[in-house]
Amino acid sequence: MISLTEELTLLAVEDDGRIAYTAGSPNYAMALVGACIVDLNKAGRVDADMQGLNVLSTEPTGLAAQDRVLEIIAAGPTQTTERWVLELQGDSPELVRMTLAQLQRRGILHQAEKRFLWALSARRYPIDDGGKEQKEAKLRILAALLSDGLPTPDDSMLIGLAVAGGLLEAFMSKSEVARLAERIAEIGGLDLVVSSVESAIRADAEVRAHAIMLSIH
Amino acid sequence: MNVTHDTANRTTTINASGRLDFEAAGAFQKELEQAVAAAAAGGNAVLIDCAGLEYVSSAGLRVFLVGARAAKAASVPFAVYALTTAVKEVFDVSGFGRIIDVLADRSGALEKVGRSA
Repeated sequence: MISLTEELTLLAVEDDGRIAYTAGSPNYAMALVGACIVDLNKAGRVDADMQGLNVLSTEPTGLAAQDRVLEIIAAGPTQTTERWVLELQGDSPELVRMTLAQLQRRGILHQAEKRFLWALSARRYPIDDGGKEQKEAKLRILAALLSDGLPTPDDSMLIGLAVAGGLLEAFMSKSEVARLAERIAEIGGLDLVVSSVESAIRADAEVRAHAIMLSIH
Repeated sequence: MNVTHDTANRTTTINASGRLDFEAAGAFQKELEQAVAAAAAGGNAVLIDCAGLEYVSSAGLRVFLVGARAAKAASVPFAVYALTTAVKEVFDVSGFGRIIDVLADRSGALEKVGRSA
C-alpha cells in the first residue's frame, strides 16, 4: 500500500503525465506537507494535539519525503502543526521530487521529457501500472462521497487533503464537486492534522491578501 | 489509558479514562471494535463515557471514527458523552460533531440511542 503523500502526489498527475496546474499552488504545497505529517503520525514518529506536534521517534521510515519532514521537525522547536505546515510549504518542490522518485522506484510512473514547439521541453510523468494506484485513490474518494456510510480515517484524510490542495477538480467536474459539497464538508478531513492544514491555508491566504491590500494603498 | 466496559439495559458502556495518544490508540481500537461486534450480535447500543478522558491526540481521535464507522455499518446505535473541555475542543476542531452523536451526559446519550435511563 502506498503512503498518503504518494496518493496525493499521484492525484496531481494528469492522464497525459502532466502535473496538474493546481499542484503549483500554495494550497497544494501545504496539503502535501500535511500528508507527510499524517504518514509520520501513522508510522508512530509524531503525534499531534492542540498544543503542538510532538516527535515520538526519529527513526527513519524509509520514505524520503516523510523522513526529510521528520528530520526538520525533530531539529526544530515544539510548535503547532499549523505553524509547521506554514513553515514547510517552501520545501514542497523537494518533497514532490522525492515522492515522484519514490513512485518511480515502485514502478507506478516514469519520468519523460516531451518536446513541443520544436525547442521547448516539458517533463511528464506517464503512469506505468495501468493507472491502478491512481484509479484506486480516485475510486476510494468517489465511493466515500457517494455512499452514506462513514469513511475510514485514511479516506477521510485523503478527501480532506485533496480538497485542501485543489485536486478534486482534476478528476471531477466542477458541477459534481458543487453537488457533493455538503458530503465533502461532512466527511472530509476528520483529523487534527488535516484541520491544521486547513487553518494554515486560511492563515496563508490572509497574509497574502493583507500584503496585496498594503501594496495598493 | 484505562478502559472498562459493562453491559446493562441493552447498552454497552465503555468507560475511557486517561490519555488516548498514539501509544494507547491500538489497544483502545481493539476494545472498541470488539465491543461494537458484540453489541451488533446482541442488539445492544454502544456508548463511550469520556468523563475520565483527559487527552486525545490525532492518533487517538481516529479510533473514534473507526468505532463510529463500524457501529454505523452494523446498525449499532452509537454515541459519546461527558467530554472534558480539552477533548471537546479536539472534537470540535476536527469536525467529529458532524458525524458522531456527542452528548453532554449519560441520560442524553441513552435517549439518543433509544434507551431509557
